Amino acid sequence: MKAHFAPARLSHLAASAGVLLAVLQASVAHAWSLSLDPASRRVYLHVGNGTAGADNSTINLVQVSVPGAQLGNGVAQAMTSNSTQSTSLYGDGYTTCPTPSTQVMVGASYQRSNSSNGPASATLSVTSPASLVSAAGDTIPFSQISWTVSAAGSSVPGVIPAGTFSGATQTLTTVPANRYIENCHTFRYANSALRAAGTYTGQVTYTITSP
Amino acid sequence: MMRPRPASALVLALALLCASAHANPHRLDDSGSHTVPPNVQMQWRPMTSRSSGAGMEAWLRVNLRIDTAAWVGRSGRVYMVLPRDEMSTIEAVWTSQGRLLPGRLVSGERTLVYAGRIASPTLEDQITVRLRSGTDWQGSRRRLDFHFEFDAD
Repeated sequence: MKAHFAPARLSHLAASAGVLLAVLQASVAHAWSLSLDPASRRVYLHVGNGTAGADNSTINLVQVSVPGAQLGNGVAQAMTSNSTQSTSLYGDGYTTCPTPSTQVMVGASYQRSNSSNGPASATLSVTSPASLVSAAGDTIPFSQISWTVSAAGSSVPGVIPAGTFSGATQTLTTVPANRYIENCHTFRYANSALRAAGTYTGQVTYTITSP
Repeated sequence: MMRPRPASALVLALALLCASAHANPHRLDDSGSHTVPPNVQMQWRPMTSRSSGAGMEAWLRVNLRIDTAAWVGRSGRVYMVLPRDEMSTIEAVWTSQGRLLPGRLVSGERTLVYAGRIASPTLEDQITVRLRSGTDWQGSRRRLDFHFEFDAD
């Protein structure tokens, strides 16, 4: 079974604000004074391997091979990750996920310059399809996959909570303005029923939005 | 013939000294200065999960030309001033080419940039400035009006 995860995504909101005004005042220069525009409102999302301050198209793979003797016995199977991202991409380079082979780092932020510059928070969500699908067309409900969370050195390791994929879009948490949240997700397969042999895949997508 | 009494002379001298001290500071004309660029957009500073509230910053150069013609030959101190424009504080940190002192200034305060005898009718320098602020602006655009003051000795 394989589950693909979405690439890190970097989005800028209202990135063009203030350009016209800057041109209008370009010829005015008296004394040591200037007009100062705030940084544009911004959301930032980082899932698995990523690049600080830039888009990264990597889709990390989380997988498990269930031994034949344990097929469908209800004993959850830990999944491994091909992520190598152990350090935070945002700011201090802290080793938030010390064992990326079993973890996928998820980090998100929402920034605004003042209380009238957008809502007080953004929403972090994840969308999963109804099922993982094999080449033969067999399916496993995505709800068979759950995750726990951790964050080395953090006083709030559950800042993005643990959960189970719903096979739809589900809200993970809200991201308060001007805060960065980050933790590590470790996935497991519930293994609660016998399935036809095969490799089952499905891709989930993490999204942060601010209206 | 009346002669001034010593006590009266002392009072007069003290009054003159006080008047001179109260004359400081003197606003200096720096209308020959200009910023590069004239308008700046702040950028986000890195923010970490272990420190909330990272703010914004911007970099610019300022070509300073301060008119000191009225004070040539006098000694004193020149200060850079940034009046407070709103509750959200702006911090300016700059380096210079050497004519003026490098320093740090927070809105609502003033910082020494020159001390000594004024030898020429203008003080000129180019400074590189880093501006920083929090995320508590009261509006969407701010106008920063720095100026210079001279405290004569």
